[in-house]
Parts: sequence; structure tokens; C-alpha cells
Amino acid sequence: MEKATFVELSEQKISNQNGKMKRGVAVIDFILRLIAIVATLASAIAMGTTDETLPFFTQFVRFRAKYDDLPALRLFVVASAIASGYLILSLPFSILHIIRSSAGMTRVILIILDTVMLASLTAGSSAAASIVYLAHKGNTKANWFAFCQQYNSFCERISGSMIGSFIAIPLFIILIILSALVLSRR
Amino acid sequence: MSTIIDVAESSKAHAIENEKAALISAPQRPGGWKKGISIMDFILRLGAIAASFGAAITMATSDQILPFFTQFFQFEASYDSFSTFQFFVIAMAFVGGYLVLSLPFSIVTIIRPHANGPRLFLIILDTVFFTLATASGASAAAIVYLAHNGNQDSNWLAICNQFGDFCAQTSGAVVSSFVAVVVLLLLIVMSSLALGKH
Repeated sequence: MEKATFVELSEQKISNQNGKMKRGVAVIDFILRLIAIVATLASAIAMGTTDETLPFFTQFVRFRAKYDDLPALRLFVVASAIASGYLILSLPFSILHIIRSSAGMTRVILIILDTVMLASLTAGSSAAASIVYLAHKGNTKANWFAFCQQYNSFCERISGSMIGSFIAIPLFIILIILSALVLSRR
Repeated sequence: MSTIIDVAESSKAHAIENEKAALISAPQRPGGWKKGISIMDFILRLGAIAASFGAAITMATSDQILPFFTQFFQFEASYDSFSTFQFFVIAMAFVGGYLVLSLPFSIVTIIRPHANGPRLFLIILDTVFFTLATASGASAAAIVYLAHNGNQDSNWLAICNQFGDFCAQTSGAVVSSFVAVVVLLLLIVMSSLALGKH
């Protein structure tokens, strides 16, 4: 009899600790999502509002640079915007996990969608990063000129907007790992 | 009095021994669908190994020298000229190496389908290397796209018009890396499904 009650009490203690851990993880999840929203939104806006016109022009050509001119940067803006939209829409699920620590299908769906969003955000930001690298360094073998030397503020803007996505990508990875951790403890 | 205590104690000891025996030699639950997922996981891992090593090797052996040259200049294109492609080769080699090293863990999940530890470990590492593969594949894809189409506004010429073979090989390498990325995504999804459902 005593052994039975002892086992019951220790089981309840373990499940209490489990519940506290799940709640803590859910709170961290929510905070990280908020930070990731800010980061991706800032990236998308910073890249999307680039527009620089050089103060000189010839009779036929006007020297102007926008993010539109480079398809990789367009992809980056779209991917960042979609990622931040998804994160905003997933906030209610995160709040649900704080209130009710349900390690059910909602967490699995969240992991799957998080992974898909991580893929698209990583793809968009690495494509943009390689173009920004080319803009800074150019490539002599392919005769690609580094236009950063002329379009200074455009260059600074596109380089700076990469920072937001480089913050959001590790956050996504941590979100996925946290959800997997909670799922594995049942 | 002492007889009663003796019987009570020995039955208590017997009960404890029974419980211990039940815990140690617990009968294995049938694997069921989790075992099927683990087997799929193993097979997909083999495919991803082939895809990622194929991408790395194809990119690394892409080297084209044009048959004409001037007095000072020989027209050559190799993956070395683009630092993005160098990053691609190294990253794909890392991803392939990780996939090979993760095969034992996959086999462990086949043998013990209900153990959560190896699956969690695989999910975490799969996510990290999936990100690496996506990053290298996408950045190489941006350069390959530029090589095919050029860019009018920044006066970047499409070098594919001259270096046809080089272009074809690098494009093939990028496609192969995307195959590895999709397979890694499937692996993560399957592992999380197996973790999430009893």
C-alpha cells in the first residue's frame, strides 16, 4: 500500500515538472516568435523601400537602382514578407500552447509549417546574400562589375536588410528544436 | 505473531521482485507504422546521400576552357572563380558527410521504433543541415540564374552563352542539391510525425 502511494506521488511530481517545462518552453516559443516577426518584417521593409537615383544622367539613360531590378532581391522581399505573415498567424497557436500544454497534433502541424517557412526564408535570404556579395566584390572572371561603388546608399540598404533575416533563421531553427523537444517528452 | 510478520514480509519481497522482473523484461510493443516510417527514413537518407555527394562532385568537376585564346588571356571558367560555388561544394560535402554519419541512428530507430531519444537527435541535426543545404543551394541557384539570364540594369552579361558546358554542369549540381533539400525536409516531417503520435 505504501509503495503504491509512493509511486503515485512520484509520478505526479514528474508530470508536474513536465507540465512546468512545457509551459516554460511555450513561453520561450512565443517570445522568439515575436522577435522573429520584427526581424523578418524589418528585412522586408528595408529591402522593399530601396530606391536610389544617381544625380547624373545621359541623354538616354537614367541611372536608378531599385530592389525590383534584381530577381533575387525580389524573391527575398517576398519570402521575408510571407515568413513574417506566417509568424503572425501562428501566434494564436503559440498562445494556445501556453494556456493548454497540449502536445498534440497542433505542435506537429506547427513543426511542419515552421520547417517549410525556414526553407523558403533561407532560400530567399541566401540568394539575396550571394547577389549582395557580387554587388560588393564583383567577379573579374565573368566580367561582372561591382555596382556598390556607384550606388552607395542602395548597397548599404540591401546589405543591412540581410541582418534581419540572419537573425530570424536561427530563431526558426530554435523554434523547431523546442517543439521537437516538447513532443519527445510525453 | 512472528509467523504472520514473516509471511507478510516475504510476500512483499515477492511482489517487488515481480515488478522488477516485469520492468526489465517488458515485452516489446509491435512497431507498427513507426517502424515503417523508420524504414522509409533510412531509404530516403540513402537517396539524399547520393543527391548531395552528386551535387558536390558535379560542381567541383565543372571546368571549361574555351578552344580559342588571345595572346594574354585564356578563357576559362571553373567553380573556383565564384566563391559562392566554393561554398556550395564545401557545404554539400558536409551535408553528405552528416547524412552518412546519421545512418546508424536511423538504423537504431528501425530496431527500436518507440524510443524517442534517437529520433529527437535526428530531428535537431537534420534541421541544422537542412538549413545549410538550402542556403548553399539557393545562393548557387542565384548565381546560375544570373549566368543564364544576365542582368541588364547592372550590366552583368550572361556568361552561359559562351561557357555552355560549365553552365549545364553547375545547373545540374544546383538541381541535385534541391533534391537533397526536399528529401531532408521529408525526413524532418516524418520524424516529427513519428514523435508526435503515439
